[in-house]
Amino acid sequence: MTTATLSRWDRFRESFLWYSFKRDKVAIASFIVLVSMVLAAIFAPLLAPADPYDLAQINIMNSELPPVGLDGSDPAFPLGTDAQGRDLLSTILYGTRVSLLIGFGAVVLQAALGILFGLLAGYLGGRVDSILMRIADVQLSFSTLMVAIIVGAVFKASFGNLMFGEIAIYMLIFIIGVSEWPQIARTVRASVLAEKKKEYVDAAKVMGFRTRRIMFRHILPNTLSPIFVIATVQIANAIISEAALSFLGLGMPETQPSLGSLIKSGFDYIQSGSWWITLIPGLVLVVLVLVINLLGDWLRDVMNPRLYKG
Amino acid sequence: MKTLLTAFVGSMALATAPMAMSAEANKELKMAYDADPVSLDIHEQLSGGMLQLSHMTFDPLIRWTKDLGFEPRLAKSWERIDENTMRFELREGVNFHSGNELTAKDVKFTFDRLKQSQDYKAIFKPFSELKVIDDYTFELVTTEPYPLLLNTATYIFPLDSEFYTGKTESGKDKSAITKHGNSFASENLSGTGPYVITGRQQGVRVEFERFDDYWDTESPGNVGKIVLTPIKENNTRVSALLSGGVDFIAPVPPTDLERIRRDKNSDLVTMSGTRIILFHMNQDRVEAFKNPKVREAIAYAINQEGIAAKIMKGFATPAAQMSPDGYQGHNDSLAPRFDVEKAQQLMKEAGYEDGFTISMMAPNNRYVNDDKIAQAVAAMLARINIKVDLKTLPKAQYWPEYDARAADMMMIGWHADTEDSANFFEFLTFCPDAESGDGQYNAGNYCNPDIDELVNKANVETDLDKRTAMLKEVEQRLYDDAAFVPLHWQDLAWASKKNVKIEPILNVMNFPYLGDLVVE
Repeated sequence: MTTATLSRWDRFRESFLWYSFKRDKVAIASFIVLVSMVLAAIFAPLLAPADPYDLAQINIMNSELPPVGLDGSDPAFPLGTDAQGRDLLSTILYGTRVSLLIGFGAVVLQAALGILFGLLAGYLGGRVDSILMRIADVQLSFSTLMVAIIVGAVFKASFGNLMFGEIAIYMLIFIIGVSEWPQIARTVRASVLAEKKKEYVDAAKVMGFRTRRIMFRHILPNTLSPIFVIATVQIANAIISEAALSFLGLGMPETQPSLGSLIKSGFDYIQSGSWWITLIPGLVLVVLVLVINLLGDWLRDVMNPRLYKG
Repeated sequence: MKTLLTAFVGSMALATAPMAMSAEANKELKMAYDADPVSLDIHEQLSGGMLQLSHMTFDPLIRWTKDLGFEPRLAKSWERIDENTMRFELREGVNFHSGNELTAKDVKFTFDRLKQSQDYKAIFKPFSELKVIDDYTFELVTTEPYPLLLNTATYIFPLDSEFYTGKTESGKDKSAITKHGNSFASENLSGTGPYVITGRQQGVRVEFERFDDYWDTESPGNVGKIVLTPIKENNTRVSALLSGGVDFIAPVPPTDLERIRRDKNSDLVTMSGTRIILFHMNQDRVEAFKNPKVREAIAYAINQEGIAAKIMKGFATPAAQMSPDGYQGHNDSLAPRFDVEKAQQLMKEAGYEDGFTISMMAPNNRYVNDDKIAQAVAAMLARINIKVDLKTLPKAQYWPEYDARAADMMMIGWHADTEDSANFFEFLTFCPDAESGDGQYNAGNYCNPDIDELVNKANVETDLDKRTAMLKEVEQRLYDDAAFVPLHWQDLAWASKKNVKIEPILNVMNFPYLGDLVVE
């Protein structure tokens, strides 16, 4: 293992992954866009001209200013302002941060649950499998949004709005993570079922390894590639779910706008002149989801053994 | 319940079938408001929405005309008997939807019920009794000379006393008024009005059909069927009109006025309004609000002109008092006081330099841009370190919360029911008293008996100049005391397709007289 770590970078450079990445212009472009958005989001407090979460900084007299270059714009607000007078650029930076955080967080949670339950169900089989998969079935029969709306409404009612505002991000991660785990569990289970028939598993069993070790050290690494592919798609899905929830007023509070709630707040104005409040965050959201999906597509092609080995 | 209603309407239609219909009421009108009526019991809540329903399904004794005069409706004439008594003559041959005939005893029943209603009892406080003389004559008697007697008579929509008397199958009293509850009256309705309700799904749609046996055969109205759909989203409501999905919408959001004006197929009607939008600061819930300095600080922190100019797009008049221009109590010397530094200074003097946290509630489909206004106010209060936990709700959920005084600051809009300043004070700043109905909508629990006394004196003052001076003084003292935070008087706007002639039926009270609506 230690020798492998030493030469990991070299190994990566030799890999098919890097080889195909270098040749795929779409993947490179998507990757650059994604990285720059992630960096901008991480360093939002340094980059943003104003703190959109600080209500004391916003002034109603600055509301609905258009982006620079249009009539009546103010250079202090490069992308204009929303209906309450928030600087749109700052709000988008912070909003992207929230969206990405929720996207990644929710997928980590989904993956943790999904991998655990998928492995257990697939490897142990029998009653464990039936129970876990029926739970997954039940959950899949509800739409994610519906589950999220119910859970969100309950939390909102029991915590009060101010409290909910403070924990909203974690709540959304929890809600979206929990409601989507069956997707990953199903995939993991399917790969495990295929893997566990293979000789190396039999060999490990004969050598007397414990079940847990076989599951996590032997089978799991061999099922990782579909998980990666699904996870990228799920990140995009989680971001969309968050935007949808916020658009419905059940996500991030108005005082801490995410991309979704920003789009919602501009919705009333889209046909009455102030299109930028909805359009710019909307574009950012589309680009974000698009590059993640493109990367996911590329990853799927690379990791698909039939395309790769064939 | 709905089947019962339908069956009932059906049997009624059979009973009245032989009578010829007067006007050709064959047009259909699809209209969209921001919300639908919260109940069918018109005495359950005193609100614009309920009064709009009243004018569709009931008729008042007399009603306001466009130029704020009175026109006879169910009362065909009235004369003053002495300084405390007014005698009314009822129209004969008027039938309720149930087929019962309207007589003076129905009016008495309605009057007594109004005296019981939590929301209306304060308006009817000056009246001592309603004396029935004969089937078609009755007298309204006040305890003292009351200058606003006729104004108040516009709120008497006679109910069908036979229909609302007795017990339901489950043993409930049919005449009971239950706030936010399931009373007989909240689900069944029988009035004399131009429309009968044929179907109702709360929050989804209400269907009305022209009452075949409507007494007002002179009415030019030719709409046979109305479908009311609540559309909460401003943008969606406007789009529904422009795309032809509905024929009539209200309110029109200020952001879309230009768009509708530009549209060739739509008509826009606007009027400068008299409805004051304000926030109450609940002194029973927040200790700091008992301190006049804190209340004043809040008054200084809020930029009424900014809200009127930016959120309302100039479609509102910034306010520093409750009485709009033209009302007796309107005091010209009061101006909005926006000064953040002064506000911070006052907070410091009051010992709340570091601020505190309060909860705030506002409706999101009742007043024009209500939720956006609340957000802006929350942001303005952040300047003086008051942190706001803001919750906005649809009005069907908001009013129960309002009645429970569920938040520290609550928004309300008020249109003076009597078109007079005193009405504002009686409902919004009087010391709350459930017995008399005073301060029924005073969510601030502000209480100053001296001011109440002054208003009561003004109410029986028949010398106009003296009365004006008294009411002006009341506004001044409330202003000095920062009893509440006035925001603006909201303007009114309606829009319709060109062939729907809404202009003649609209008025500044925002009670469209849909019975007289003509569709070409």
